Amino acid sequence: MTELQLNPDTSGTPTVLLIDDSQFVHRLLDARLRSESIVLRGAEDGKRGIQMALEDPPALILLDLDMPVMDGFETLRALKDDPRTRDVPVIVLSGMNSSQDKVAAFDLGAIDFVTKPFELTELRARVRSSLKLYALLQMLAQKAQIDGLSGLFNRQYFDDRFKTEFERTIRHGQSLSIAMIDIDHFKSINDTYGHPAGDSVITDLAKLIGHESRSIDISCRYGGEEFALIMPETEPDQALQLCERIRMKCEQINWSRHPSRSVTISIGIVGMNDGQRINSTPEAWIEAADRNLYDAKQTGRNQVRATGIDGSPIQLSKAS
Amino acid sequence: MHTPDPDAFSLDINDPADAELIEYFLGELPERVDAIEAAFSNDDYEALGRVAHQLKGAAPGFGFPAIGNEAGKLEQQISSICDPTEEIEAIRSQVDSLVSLCNSFINPS
Repeated sequence: MTELQLNPDTSGTPTVLLIDDSQFVHRLLDARLRSESIVLRGAEDGKRGIQMALEDPPALILLDLDMPVMDGFETLRALKDDPRTRDVPVIVLSGMNSSQDKVAAFDLGAIDFVTKPFELTELRARVRSSLKLYALLQMLAQKAQIDGLSGLFNRQYFDDRFKTEFERTIRHGQSLSIAMIDIDHFKSINDTYGHPAGDSVITDLAKLIGHESRSIDISCRYGGEEFALIMPETEPDQALQLCERIRMKCEQINWSRHPSRSVTISIGIVGMNDGQRINSTPEAWIEAADRNLYDAKQTGRNQVRATGIDGSPIQLSKAS
Repeated sequence: MHTPDPDAFSLDINDPADAELIEYFLGELPERVDAIEAAFSNDDYEALGRVAHQLKGAAPGFGFPAIGNEAGKLEQQISSICDPTEEIEAIRSQVDSLVSLCNSFINPS
């Protein structure tokens, strides 16, 4: 279910990774940070530290500058070069209190600098503030991709993600389908039962779409009463079956705010089969899906219209 | 040169967490003293500087800022000279004072 993937458990205890060649420092910080709600993991050299950060990205890295073999600067550069670890904040620890080192560390992307020997209350405060900042940044990054009312991905995310999926599909010659889903006569639901009723239609339908789609699908709120579904590695006839199921289940929902009034949706699908090579653009795909949606509306609503991107009609197979 | 404020690193032997740290540090110290002496007698100034650097950074946190100070002086001495063999006497004397300071904590009279 798409919504669940969006909200990884951020309430869990954050992991802090300490990279320092001195056993003394590991022991000291282990004791001194015990009162903090963190899990402290340790690596004794830069290589191992990077490896651990890749395996299980921590919420914060404490990095010693002065280490043999691979020093802190080199380790920091490697961490910031890799997109998988780039966003993890790094506090640099150093026994050398030189402003040259500090500037170099900040230039490489360190978020803070603490000199040894540690002033422990200061270190704790800096750890806390970095963790807080990281949690807020993550929340912000997530919020920026999510539609507030429905909890699905938003339009901006859809645009970016569809472009990526489109290019990937072309590169690998795989199948791909998208669907545009629109609530029938939504305005009259709002006008008749009020906006709270309209909102709950949006949220419940979002839940239905999230629930019925598969984990590889990307469900988005495209605009007002319109949703978009990206179905990677899916041929249009499979997409048609999936969307037909969503359409039927929607029709069957019993609405507590308006039990006598059912809500229906119209869906336009466009897709491409495995190995099919057709010159097109993401924009042309969305236009084609919109055309099919318009067709579904024009011919009576509460139905799904699907075509290949080449315009070939797709019918629901008898077996389903 | 950054000199630690001794008050900032005072530990309380009656506090269990502090006592554990002090005990750990004193338990590790003989090994470090051996490492210092071995590095000096082998003219391995890189290893000597490394142990000194680690003690400088860590000792104050375990409640031993004096060891941190002496280790810091030794590290400074090693890093600021070009030819250690020429200043071997000065280094020897700093090694001696660091080692005897450590030993005074390891074997209190």
